[in-house]
This record gives sequence, C-alpha cells and structure tokens, in this order.
Amino acid sequence: MRRPNRRLVVSAVVALTVVLALAAGQASARPHAQVTVYAAASLTDVFPKIDANQKYQFGGSNTLAAQITQGAPADVFASANTTLPQQLFSKSLCSKPVVFTRNTLVVVVPKANPAKIRNIYNLAKSGVKLVIAGPGVPVGSYTLQILKNMNLSSPVLKNVVSRETDVREVLAKVALGEADAGFVYSTDAKTVSDKVTVVKVPAWAQPKVQYGICVVSKSSNKADAQAFINKVLSKAGQARMRQYGFLPRVKAVPKKKKK
Amino acid sequence: MKRALLAFLFTGVAVATLTFLALPIIAIFAHTTPAHLLDQFSNPVVRDAFVVSLKTSLIAQALILLFGTPTAFLLATRRFRGHAVAVTLVELPLVLPPAVAGIGLLAAFGRLGLLGSTFDALGITLPFTQTAVTIAVAYVASPLYVRQAIAAFEATDPNLTAASRTLGAGPTRTFFRVVLPLAQGGLIAGLALSFARGLGEFGATIMFAGSLQRVTQTLPLAIYAEFDRNFDATLAMSGVLVLVSVLLLLGLRIGLTWQRSPSKKSLYLFGPSASG
Repeated sequence: MRRPNRRLVVSAVVALTVVLALAAGQASARPHAQVTVYAAASLTDVFPKIDANQKYQFGGSNTLAAQITQGAPADVFASANTTLPQQLFSKSLCSKPVVFTRNTLVVVVPKANPAKIRNIYNLAKSGVKLVIAGPGVPVGSYTLQILKNMNLSSPVLKNVVSRETDVREVLAKVALGEADAGFVYSTDAKTVSDKVTVVKVPAWAQPKVQYGICVVSKSSNKADAQAFINKVLSKAGQARMRQYGFLPRVKAVPKKKKK
Repeated sequence: MKRALLAFLFTGVAVATLTFLALPIIAIFAHTTPAHLLDQFSNPVVRDAFVVSLKTSLIAQALILLFGTPTAFLLATRRFRGHAVAVTLVELPLVLPPAVAGIGLLAAFGRLGLLGSTFDALGITLPFTQTAVTIAVAYVASPLYVRQAIAAFEATDPNLTAASRTLGAGPTRTFFRVVLPLAQGGLIAGLALSFARGLGEFGATIMFAGSLQRVTQTLPLAIYAEFDRNFDATLAMSGVLVLVSVLLLLGLRIGLTWQRSPSKKSLYLFGPSASG
C-alpha cells in the first residue's frame, strides 16, 4: 500500500516541476503589455518617473547594444548617443532612432575634495585618481572628446586609475570617496549632490551629447514600444526630463542643417 | 521492466545535464579556431589582462598558502570555543556574492573605510591598485584552499603523528616531515581549485580595484570590457580561461587517481565527506 503512494508522490513532484518549468518558459515567451526598455545608465532615475509600469534594464549603452545584437528581449533601446542605435538601425536591428534629449558633462569630486580639484586643468596634477568610463561607453568617448578639445589628453589620461563600465559606476566611485574625480553627465551629478561637488566643463569644450531612442526590431510588442517612445517625447515626458536636468531634445537650430 | 525504464530515465536525464553543461564550453571553441585564439595574444588588451591575471593570482595563492595552511592546521587539530564561528568565517567568502565581497573590501580597506585612515597615515591607498586585485582574489579564493586543507589535516592518521613524536621528532619536525607529506595531496587539490576560482574573480575586483588595462584589468574584467567591442578577443580570453580550468581539474583528477591509496581519503576533491 505504501510504496505505490510514495512513487505517486515522487512522480507527481517530477511532473509538477516539469509543468512549472514549461509554464515559466511559456510565460516569458508570451507577449505582454509591459515593454522592456534597455536604457542608458544615466536615465536610471528619470525613466521610471516618466512611466513606472515598464520593465527597465539600465547599463552602459554599449553593453545594452551588444546584448540586443545577441538577441536580448528588449522592446525599446534608449542610448546615451545616437551612434549605437544608428548602428543597430543599419543592421536592421531597430527602427530609425530619434533624438529624445540632450545632456552635458561635468567633473565630479568628492565633497571632501582630497585632491583639491578646482577646475578641469587641476586634473593634470600628478597623483590625482581620476575615474572615467571605458572607451566604448558613450560617456567615456565624450570624456575623451573633451580632453582632446582642451588639449589635455595626455596629461590627464595618465591619471586615470579605472575605466568603468557605465556612468553610474564612475559616479559611485567618486561619491564613495575612493576616486578623486570623475567625468559624468550633469544629470548624474544632481542625483548625489550631497556627496559630490561639481566642477564645470567649459561650454566650448562640450561634445554634442544627444540621446537616441528606437524600437527594437525583434520586439513582439512594437505598438506598446512606440507608445512608450511617444510618452518620452510628449510634453509631459520632456518636462520630466528637464526636471531631472536633461536638456530639451532640440535646441533652437537653423531649419536645414549644413554639413 | 520498471527497472529498465528507470535506468533509461536516469541515463536520459544525465545526458541532458551533461549536454547543458558542455554546450557553452563547446560554443566558445566553435566560434574560434586555435590559430585565431593564439592570434589574439598579439592583442595588447588580451596580453596585458593575461599578465595581470597571472601575476595577481600567483601572489594571492602564495599568500593563501602561507596564511591558510597554519590556520587550517589549527582549525583541524584543535577544538576551542568559537571553533564553529572560525570555520564559518573561513567558508563565508565561498557563498558570499562577489559584489558583497567587493563592498566589504571597500568598506574595510577603502579610503573612507574602517582602516582607511590607518592606511592613509602610512601613505598607502589600496583601491585601484594591483594590490587591491590581489586582495580581492585572495579573499574570494581562500576558502577553497582552507576548507580542503582542514579536511586534509583532519584525515591524517593521528597514530602516525603520535609515532613520530614518540620516536623523538619535535613538533616542528613532525609537522614538516609527517603531517605535511600526509596532507600534501589534499593541499595541492585545494590550491588548484582556489587558483582556478581566483583566476575567474570578477565582482569583488571590479568594485574594489576598478578596471584599467595593464594595472587592474584581469582576464574576466577584460572579457567584460571587450564584450561589445571585440567579440573575438572575448572568445579568445574565455577560451584561455576554459583551458586553464580544464587543465587544472583534469590534472587534479589524474594526479589523484595516480596517488590514491586507501589511507589517503583526503585526496578526494571535496574532502572525505564526499568520498562516501
């Protein structure tokens, strides 16, 4: 009497496990109203404030783009530059990107400012522990552009102690006080204004920081993905972006761009 | 009939499991050829990462050996109050998420950490240095050695140590001439495992030491940094790590079978408990 019972229990457990595993697989494969947004790390705070109901994955735009190329289940890709979505677009991996916001870069130093950085030229002092993002990360390439524009590349780059994987990692290392300075977006600096002091980068040295957004081609939920993008581009969405320090997506530019 | 069915089921499940485990490894090598893999060694990123990894791992292993062996011996041969706590402490890094280890190391040895001001007074800053990588590797990899060493020391026959002492050998001589040779196999196994684990260290390193080519960028960090830029380089580096791990484990297996004798239970990979 006993043995069949136990056997029954065991097979029931096995069957249940298999069913649950299959169901889990099914659930993740089924389209849902919620869209998955792969977004630049600098958008970590503002995007959930524009739409709290979506699933977000924040990180270095370059990492996210690589993951999308490898087939990651993203519906929307919001990058801290236009080159990465443009590259995906040219490989038919996402729709034609549109610019949805702009940003500027600043240098942040810990409140205690152990290296006594007062301006960007101080970054060339010997012994400064500077943290920047990796060269493939948008903010990393913007940083290199600034240093090039200011003719500071070689003296400042020799002080780099770490190349981080996204802008928030740079920010964290400075906010923790482990690094003496780091290049981040001005919007990131605002999120930890109690821990870091901002050192401005002159306007003439600023690179053109434009954020591009697109619908991922493999998305099973393109309508909702587009709806999310529309929400970001909407008046309310743009107002929210500005509230977090982002710049309007177009500045007053001449009608036709010359090149 | 039912037995045949059961055997069939088990075989099926085992095959599925092994395929699941083997597939990612096969895929790494399916994407690249050995020639291509060697080619990548002319890539400075790969070469530098290899050197940093090797250097920090070797130093970390030397430290683990130097500090871990006496600790393990003590924990294996003495029973004292707080023994269980000490053993738990030794094993903790094994189950701790590496990111937590990284935060812990920062909170302890960072500039604003517990010992930060002490180090500062001495003119030492640890974060972002190769020393920080070594510390992270040693912290995360040490349990694999120390655990194994405790098991190995526990498995040495106390009669032999007693005999050595009655025959007039001092405790030092007994330790080096009797205990160590008896535990040797287990110690080597532990060291190999902890070396393999140390080579793969990622989370604690990136948090505590950052990532900079030629200084703190180890192979796993370089794999992460190059992932979106140079997939070939990441495959090559992954291939190297797989090969090293396979060679270590295989060498261990072969060495163990070769050395195994009934009295040397400690030679099993994960201690005597796993031998039953």
